[in-house]
Amino acid sequence: MSEPIQTTSLHQEHISLNAKMAPFAGFDMPLQYSSVKEEVLAVRNEAGVFDVGHMGEFIVEGPDAISFVDYIITNDFKNSALKKAVYSPLCRENGTVIDDLIAYKLSPFRVLICVNASNIKKDWEWINSKLNSFNCTMVDKSNNYSLLAVQGPKVEAIFKELGLIGNEDIPYYSAYETKYEFEDLILARTGYTGEDGFEVFCSHFFAKVFWQKLLSMGVKPCGLAARDVLRLEVGYPLYGHELTDEITPLDAALAWTVKFDKGNFIGKAALADYQAKYKLIKLSLERGIPREGYSVLNAELMEVGKVTSGTMSVVTGKGIAFALVEKAKLTKTYFINIRNTNYEAQIHTKAFVNGGHK
Amino acid sequence: MTQKIPTELKYTKEHEWTKTENDHVIIGITDFAQSALGDIVFVELPEVGKTLNSHQTFGVVESIKSVSDLYSPVSGTVVEVNSELINSPELCNAQPYTGAWMIKVKLTKPDELNTLLSSSDYSTFLSTL
Repeated sequence: MSEPIQTTSLHQEHISLNAKMAPFAGFDMPLQYSSVKEEVLAVRNEAGVFDVGHMGEFIVEGPDAISFVDYIITNDFKNSALKKAVYSPLCRENGTVIDDLIAYKLSPFRVLICVNASNIKKDWEWINSKLNSFNCTMVDKSNNYSLLAVQGPKVEAIFKELGLIGNEDIPYYSAYETKYEFEDLILARTGYTGEDGFEVFCSHFFAKVFWQKLLSMGVKPCGLAARDVLRLEVGYPLYGHELTDEITPLDAALAWTVKFDKGNFIGKAALADYQAKYKLIKLSLERGIPREGYSVLNAELMEVGKVTSGTMSVVTGKGIAFALVEKAKLTKTYFINIRNTNYEAQIHTKAFVNGGHK
Repeated sequence: MTQKIPTELKYTKEHEWTKTENDHVIIGITDFAQSALGDIVFVELPEVGKTLNSHQTFGVVESIKSVSDLYSPVSGTVVEVNSELINSPELCNAQPYTGAWMIKVKLTKPDELNTLLSSSDYSTFLSTL
């Protein structure tokens, strides 16, 4: 089932910037422009922009829009404030994870769901199949919206200078619909870097104009490689790595996103009875770089788990990783096997790097 | 993009360079290789005394997001290793042909040198990529 590779509205911009391109989730996407290190540091210290137009967007509308979204996700959406964004797993009845997503409560009758590019079709079919008894409709806007993630401590000032935002307080993880230069936008104070910033859902036309404007103001174009380092540094999971069809949110350190007291939701009964088989932990190395698939060993050098994502942290200069470890084999000392050498790892209970978001 | 390809060196299609000094060969990675890899953040090299066959992996270079094997262009014994790269892997990006030499090998099959690419052959090869 090889389908033709897709492109985003900014594809030509990436080509003309000489970006290193690679296929990702069926899209030809920019991996890096200049240097991954420089791109990561731009986001941590100043401002960077990512084309994330490959991601999927569904709009749910109708009197039951909010209660429907609350029913399909494990986190509490119903009781969140208007304009709030909620991060949540999307689970099957048996509790396994279909995807993780962000739901934006745009109005009492209108919800935007933003999903991973690799899961658009799977999510669409699943969510659609659950709509029947609810009084709302869902539209797939994935091909209609461009999406730019503008991230970093200087982004607020840049958006003010552009007149995109005023002096009103826009809390982290909130979103609203607005007009700018006659264009309809959804402005969301979200991202997946741990830094302050905005995600801008907009038309393909506006995306190009806006991209060029941001670059002319010194915002650094950043690719998916930098994005992966940034999310790992602040300890955010990525579907297909930390989260899969095989495990539940309770295996992946996401118990905080499963709200058993919120009312009924898909997967509630199974998850309420579920004893987690795995625990997602964070490890770092003084020397060596952990990579996906490397074995995690205990003090007796028996395998207890696998690295699910790993990289060199640009900020700390150390190898950092998520590892999925069998819960029955949790221990205090871990080694990571890299090319037949075992490196002792440090365990982290907090993020490797503190993001600067509000 | 233009890559530096010094004329006095010989090359491989795996993007290693070699510099011959009598019966020894110094080996590193090319400007093209370091540029394609991006920020190099980790280098793993063999111990002195290790014997290598040509095309055998002798080490690893890692960028932030990738791991690449290093292949020995020749057969021989490792007589010297540039341990400076362990603490300063970024030298691979800054000085691929000088400060970032990787290993020095005493040749056991000097004839293998004839199989290496000249700078103009390597340049032609790069233009086909």
